[in-house]
Amino acid sequence: MSGVNEMTPLERAAAIAKGEPADRLPCNPNMANGVARVYGCKISEFNSDAKTLAAAQIASYRRFGYDSVRIFTDLFTWCEAMGARVKFPDDDTADLLEPAISDVKDIGKLQPANPYKDGRLPVHLDAMKYLVEEVGNEVACSGGVVGPFTNAFFLLGVDNVLKLIAKNPEAIHALCRVSLETCKNFAEAVINLGLTPTISEPMSSCSVVSPKTFREFSAPYLKELVDFIKARGKGVIMHICGKTSHIWKDIADMGVSGFSIDNVASLTDCKHAIGHQVRILGNVDPGGVVYSGTPLDVRLKTLEGIAECYDSPKGYTPMSGCSLPVETPFENIQAMMDAVRDVGYPVRPEKVEALIADCKKQMANL
Amino acid sequence: MRSKEEYLQALSDCVVNMEDESVGKVAQEYIAAGYPALEGILKGLVDGMQRAADLYEREEYFIPELLLCSDAMYNGLDILRPHLEKSETQKKHKIVIGVIEGDTHDIGKNLVRIMLEAAGYEMHDLGRDVALQKFVDKAKEINADVIAISTLMTTTMPGMGRVIEMLETEGLRDRIKVIVGGAPISPAFARKIGADGYAANAVDAVKLVDRLMGADMMSLEA
Repeated sequence: MSGVNEMTPLERAAAIAKGEPADRLPCNPNMANGVARVYGCKISEFNSDAKTLAAAQIASYRRFGYDSVRIFTDLFTWCEAMGARVKFPDDDTADLLEPAISDVKDIGKLQPANPYKDGRLPVHLDAMKYLVEEVGNEVACSGGVVGPFTNAFFLLGVDNVLKLIAKNPEAIHALCRVSLETCKNFAEAVINLGLTPTISEPMSSCSVVSPKTFREFSAPYLKELVDFIKARGKGVIMHICGKTSHIWKDIADMGVSGFSIDNVASLTDCKHAIGHQVRILGNVDPGGVVYSGTPLDVRLKTLEGIAECYDSPKGYTPMSGCSLPVETPFENIQAMMDAVRDVGYPVRPEKVEALIADCKKQMANL
Repeated sequence: MRSKEEYLQALSDCVVNMEDESVGKVAQEYIAAGYPALEGILKGLVDGMQRAADLYEREEYFIPELLLCSDAMYNGLDILRPHLEKSETQKKHKIVIGVIEGDTHDIGKNLVRIMLEAAGYEMHDLGRDVALQKFVDKAKEINADVIAISTLMTTTMPGMGRVIEMLETEGLRDRIKVIVGGAPISPAFARKIGADGYAANAVDAVKLVDRLMGADMMSLEA
């Protein structure tokens, strides 16, 4: 690990929660299947080999020292467990080939997934077991789960669902209901292993559906999933890609503990809207900056995020706006961690401003 | 009987109001009244789709609404297209479009295809999760002017640059423009991989292609 004599992520989180001194803010560059590049394996190994899936996550965590490790490979693990066909490239992220059903009449045939039997869910659960055994005493370990509304799209096909929202609302509700049962079954299994479920719900984005559609078709099931997890003593971190400002209040009122925003959303606006209710995580542009920028670009954007959001009442975690591309340069991930380390804790805004000015000066001299 | 302007307004309204079932009847009446198909398409259907896109930009419409609008537009096109004069259907620029390998999200790509089609381009849609070589092969096969590559996932972005490299290797780069788009793509990324342009949304994609093609295609005044 690059930082010397650092606190562990759990020590850091506990200290900050108690108002005690800490070395830095928590930080999560949000590496997805890119951990395969750190560990030196193929991404397809994650589909069947729980030990490798866990070991790759651990290797990446040890290299960069970030504050959250998560077992999550793609959005299609849950629909696959309910009958969808998924394509597994040799060394890239899995893809949806065919939804579980193609006709709305077949919704009644869908069964909630059994997390211990169906598809790759058992592999993910086993990986979580290895993960928590190895690093559970030092870093927050989580298990990703897709939200019920998003999973519903993959059960009947994206275009079908988009059209049925207006034409057959009952069908969408039935689909979300059975989808939710799968999410709950999986979340419960994750919690039983001692990890915390995190929810990805990209189709709820205002870049896809209207806030009205979100409130009618997604929010009721999403809230039930959040309540289910909270009732078992876990806080919930949620990520929704794209534009989300119109539904921030809905999300915060569901009682999630953290909300991770995309780079197209504004940290400042989010802080003012819901910062008093939830921790905010985000939102360095994963493609435009972390993947394709220089380490200095990443440093600047990370520092600017901290300047915007460090004083958010319920806390702030510098993070990428979404999962990083697999081939993101390691030095850019390192640059995000280094920026957070250089800021230290508690965050002094004048120091952040000085670091930003220094960054800009270096860029001007290039 | 309605005037031409009233019909054009009705066609446009059918599209923007998502009336995919009644648009066909209006289009048939329009043709039966002896009005020109091309004008019905451009000042009726396409106008409606542009109004829908404006509503999308103002965040009054979202993807489900746009898809229903486009269904209405296509239903109207099915009626009007066979009545186009031959000269009106020729000399279109050809565009190969697809979502790159590793990504199955094709909502954004579909909207771009719809808007470009509405603007008069000949679209060849490869669908989603398209192998890199297929973009190049299809462009060669149909003698395409533009390749449009889309992705919603950060994980697939590197493939876009590889398509450009393949075009260079095959000596095709000079005559085929490459444009990229999708949520994680930025102008900086487009520059980095050497693409000819980036568009943030479907409306901008039309403006971008018009600019790259010198806007020498059939105009609204046609």
